[in-house]
This record gives sequence, structure tokens and C-alpha cells, in this order.
Amino acid sequence: MEHSRENSAICSQNMEADDHDHDTSLPAGARHHAQFWIRLLLGAIFIIASADKIYNPEGFAQAVYNYQILPDALINLTAIILPWLELILGIFLIVGFWLPGAVTLANGLLVVFFGSLVFNVARGLDVHCGCFSTSTDGDPTTAWYLIRDSAFLLMGAYLFFKVMISRKLEEPIGARS
Amino acid sequence: MDRVEVMNMTNKDSRVLFQVILQGGAILALASVIALSVNQFRPGGLPLVADWSPDAQLTLGSGDSLMISLDEAGMLFFDRAALFLDARSSDEYAEGHIEGAVNLPWDEFDEHFAPVMADISPETPLITYCDGEGCALSKELAMTLLAKGYNNVRVLVNGWTLWQEKRLPVEMSENLSHNQ
Repeated sequence: MEHSRENSAICSQNMEADDHDHDTSLPAGARHHAQFWIRLLLGAIFIIASADKIYNPEGFAQAVYNYQILPDALINLTAIILPWLELILGIFLIVGFWLPGAVTLANGLLVVFFGSLVFNVARGLDVHCGCFSTSTDGDPTTAWYLIRDSAFLLMGAYLFFKVMISRKLEEPIGARS
Repeated sequence: MDRVEVMNMTNKDSRVLFQVILQGGAILALASVIALSVNQFRPGGLPLVADWSPDAQLTLGSGDSLMISLDEAGMLFFDRAALFLDARSSDEYAEGHIEGAVNLPWDEFDEHFAPVMADISPETPLITYCDGEGCALSKELAMTLLAKGYNNVRVLVNGWTLWQEKRLPVEMSENLSHNQ
């Protein structure tokens, strides 16, 4: 017994190891390391993404315009509110506050971002300048955006599954039935 | 699964859905309140609604518009009275551009500026263009040239598309036309 406890202490740095560890003396979060790290990562991504947009709203408004999707009347409102929404979602994801709402909204945003990018690649519009472009499909930056956004979507989908469907995340042990 | 269990699950589902709506709405409201307050009081805050039409975007603080119509640009072209500057990438320029236009790709402005503009006097009428109604390259290029002292710059919005639609003279880069 002594021996196995020691082992589990050593293994606690390992994400997978703790998923099988049902030692109730550990805090509830420690048994869900994978979810925790993905929340932390996605939260950090949202916060980092919001920083420059909050700092430079004019530049972000131009970027929203370049996507050529929203009507002109909504461009500035989006450029003003969206970065703060990202910041708040990032903080809530990290501290684990209001997770059902935060995870759902975060997923909504990721789906919208990905959808707008794919839509513009499909119609041959370069989102960096809002230009028609003959070379959008082969453009390495656009390809990188697509890969990056897919990875974000996967992380979002994972959290959504954990929070909404399996509902295991951070729920107090007594609340589970 | 017995009936009690099924009812429990439905209750739980609706509870979570309720949570999502309530929390999601509260987060949206919180973000809007913070964002709008900060925007109101910060220096350089945006107007809530702005005119994003090409004409409005190209209107300077003085009230002058940089926009030039296709007709006017066409006249200057046939009079050889203006230099056309293609703000798109060199690949796109090579595939086809307004006849006689010079390539000054906005994305590589710093490398191209000196060699391209070396022999051009600040008074030369310049017309920048790129492709697409919302294309920002020609505007950015025009604004930068203005700031550098070229005070006779105009922008032909959606230039490449309009020029082709009107079947005005175009050309390809030499090495590319040799290949075909």
C-alpha cells in the first residue's frame, strides 16, 4: 500500500496516469488532468487572441471588414464586443467558472471562425486583405489558418463533450448520480 | 433503463440546457457592457456604426475622396496621363494586369518601393488598384504613398475586375506570355 501511494504521487505529473486513480484524497480536478490542460490551453488561446484586438480595435475592425461577411452596420459593434467576449471566455475556461455556458459560447465562436474562413477560401477571397485572389488555395498562410482552426475546434469539441455530454468535468463527487 | 431513470436524465438535460442559456446570456451581456463602456471612454474608441463603403473609406480628413471612377481612369489611361500601380502580389500581376501598370505589391512594399518609385516625381498622377470591392491593398498603398509625399494618388476600387469587364487593354508579364 505504501509503495503504491508513492507511485501514484510520482505519476501525478502524468496526465493519463491520474485518470485511473480514484484516490478520493486528491482534489476533484486532479482526476481530470486532460480536461484541465485543454481548458487551460484553449482559455490561454482566447486570452492571447483577444489582447491585440482590444489594444487595436481599428485594425480589428478592418480585419472583420476584410472577411466580407457581416453587413457594414455590424462591423464596428463586432470589433468592439468580440474581443472582450473572447477575454471573458478565456478567463472563465481557465478558472472553471460557468463552464456549460462558457464552453458552449466558445464552441459557437470557434465554429463561426472556422466557417467564415472556409467560406472565404471556397469563394476565392483572401481574408488578409479582403481581395479576390487566384492563389488562395495554395497560400501557405491560409492553409496554416485552416489547420490551426481545426485544432482549436477539436479542443472545443472535446471540452463540449466532457462538460455537456459526459458531464464529469469538475462536478462535485456528491452531485454525480 | 426504468422510467425513473429516464425522467432523471430528462430533468438533468433540461437543467443543463437552462444553465447554458442563462450563463451564455450573462457572459454575452457582461462582455457587451464592459466592451461598450471601455470603448466609450478610451481614446481612439470606435463609432458604434460606421460607413464602410469604399467611398467613405477613401475620404480623407479634409473631405477629399481618393476614389476615381472607371471612366475617369480609362480617360487618363488613353491619354497616358497617369501611372497605374498594381498593389497585388507579383504572381497575380504576372498572370495579368492593366497594360503598362507597374507592380508595387503592398505585402512587400518596403523591398519594392525604392526601385519602383525611383524615377517617379511626386507630382505624377498615380492610380492604385487591386481586385475585389473590399480589397484593402490599393487603399493602404495609396495612403502610404500620400504620406511619402506623392500627392496625386487615386484609387480605382475593384480595379482589376472592372477593367476586365470593360475589356480595356490588359497584358501579361513577358516570361509568362512566352510560355503560353
